[in-house]
Amino acid sequence: MKTETIISLENVTKRFPVGEGEFTALDHINLTFTKGEFSGLVGPSGSGKTTLLNIIGSLDVPTEGKATVIGHDIASLSHKASAKLRNHHIGFIFQVFNLLPVYTVFENVEFPLLLQNKTASERKKAVMEALDWIGLADYAKKKPNKLSGGEGQRVAIARAMVKRPEILIADEPTANLDAANAHSILKMMKKLNRELGTTFIFSTHDEKVMTYLERIIHLRDGKVELDERIKNKNQAS
Amino acid sequence: MKLALQLAYRNLVGAGLRTWLNVGVLTFAFLMIIFLNGILDGWNHQAKTDTIAWEYGNGHLLNEKYDPYDPFSIQDGHGILSEENKENLSPILLQQGSIYPEGRMVSILLKGIEVNQKTLKIPTTNFKENASAIPAIIGVNMATSTNLKIGDQVLLRWRDKNGMFDAKNIIIVDVFKTNVPTVDHGQVWIPITHLWEMTGLENHATYFVANEKFKPKAIKQWNYVSQKELLHDLDEIISMKKSSSSILYLLLLAIALLAVFDTQVLSIFRRQKEIGTYVALGMTRSQVVGLFTIEGTMYSLFATVIGCIIGVPLFWYLSKTGMAFPTSSQDMGIAMADRIYPVYGISLILGTVALVVISATIVSFLPARKIAKLNPVEALKGKIQ
Ligand SMILES: Nc1ncnc2c1ncn2[C@@H]1O[C@H](COP(=O)(O)OP(=O)(O)OP(=O)(O)O)[C@@H](O)[C@H]1O
Ligand SMILES: [Mg+2]
Repeated sequence: MKTETIISLENVTKRFPVGEGEFTALDHINLTFTKGEFSGLVGPSGSGKTTLLNIIGSLDVPTEGKATVIGHDIASLSHKASAKLRNHHIGFIFQVFNLLPVYTVFENVEFPLLLQNKTASERKKAVMEALDWIGLADYAKKKPNKLSGGEGQRVAIARAMVKRPEILIADEPTANLDAANAHSILKMMKKLNRELGTTFIFSTHDEKVMTYLERIIHLRDGKVELDERIKNKNQAS
Repeated sequence: MKLALQLAYRNLVGAGLRTWLNVGVLTFAFLMIIFLNGILDGWNHQAKTDTIAWEYGNGHLLNEKYDPYDPFSIQDGHGILSEENKENLSPILLQQGSIYPEGRMVSILLKGIEVNQKTLKIPTTNFKENASAIPAIIGVNMATSTNLKIGDQVLLRWRDKNGMFDAKNIIIVDVFKTNVPTVDHGQVWIPITHLWEMTGLENHATYFVANEKFKPKAIKQWNYVSQKELLHDLDEIISMKKSSSSILYLLLLAIALLAVFDTQVLSIFRRQKEIGTYVALGMTRSQVVGLFTIEGTMYSLFATVIGCIIGVPLFWYLSKTGMAFPTSSQDMGIAMADRIYPVYGISLILGTVALVVISATIVSFLPARKIAKLNPVEALKGKIQ
């Protein structure tokens, strides 16, 4: 397996204005991620995990330093270019699944492909395949409010993966799930990681998640405290 | 654009009741605007047709000394038109007079008209000669106010050419029904030959009514006023009524638009996470602004569709059967039929659709602009106030 850098962060710093002064949420972060990595950010609440994921996902820009994602300098992207980057290359999974409530499961998963102007038959094929990955092909016509938590998060995974993005960002994806569902979606993601070569970056407090990760980056007060590569019992499963 | 339409459609249909409430008020405003304007247009159309048929013909050729707005000009405002110019014209001679129904004096306008004229709808063929009295016809309104019926005789006084009073009985030979108050109220029609004889004004006319074949030309001492110019006053009255009724429906529309505006503001506030999700999934912020704007516009499109479903049969029915109005034409001062047949023209309908759609788009766009300034990270957290 060749190690191709897909994300590189150089001295990435993020400051938020707070009252009179500023709050430093990220403090000179230097990290690189290679293609196909299955890694996670861990750290106490407020350590900057979400802030860092948002910058990698081009939803936010660093105050200082340089974040390069799939060859794009995040800070210099126009609104349009960053939207395109997200639409084609980056998938998001959130703690609350953020499914679009008025759409069916099928339509939710189809959404990114609609934005890509794919034809109806291309969309249908890709959506059904994605629903197969998560084992919810029979749920295509259901509305999100009819789904259980585990099913909802699986649909969110299908929606993030349907476009076969290079990078998948999952911000505390298991925080609202019970243990069985958490393991089930982690296994699914691990499988997709291996089959599609997608780079996964998690943020988590969850011990269960950590058992699947190949690399754990510990953040504290906006700084990288420890960056460890580990051999885990769930990695091969 | 197609995508935004598709998404907006899904969002609105998915939102259920909230959508249909907005669509409901918009539809109501939409139908009211068309309904009220259709009545006014129908009234206008009818008033014009009736006034042309009963009074204006294709235009009036007025004696230059006669001013329709000055009753004192009746005394001298008449003359003889040379024979070669009389083609397609039928003379009317006006004189002041008074009648004495039930012993009280009523001032009237005597109108001499040719018995065999065909230009106006005044039923002159009903003038039947009578040995003892002058045949006269009056309108229903005049008949009611003077309590005169067909066959009644009543004393008429007028001044002859020398200014001396003369008197003779007239007999009511017909009472006609018209929507045009200006040929009815306070007027007595008699054959012009009688009026010539009574006043000694042989061959005189105050004005001539032109028929369709009449070609206007310059004639000394006579002024031609075309049908269009004659209808000008009527147009003004109708357009005044239109602008006063427009206040009502603009208010209605404003209420409907306020409902849309309100929904939009609330929607943008409540759907922050959804907006953040759209951006995370790769929509640009301006695409999201467009989506929300189109959602608002779509209320008006739904309203148009539902308005058509309700309106087409309803308005078609009304335009066929007409609508009864309690006010009499005399109160309005211009022609108004008992039944008005509303006219729903294509320009009225398209104009209303455009008004509703454009205004709904504007009130949807105004709050949606806020989305462009929204930070997607904050939106995803649902933190924006
Ligand atoms: N827009 C903002 N304005 C001010 N401070 C902010 C803003 N966004 C984040 N912060 C602060 O930055 C710090 C890092 O936040 P972040 O959300 O990245 O933490 P986190 O590691 O994801 O925490 P959690 O585990 O609770 O999700 C926090 O202290 C937070 O209060
Ligand atoms: Mg977080």
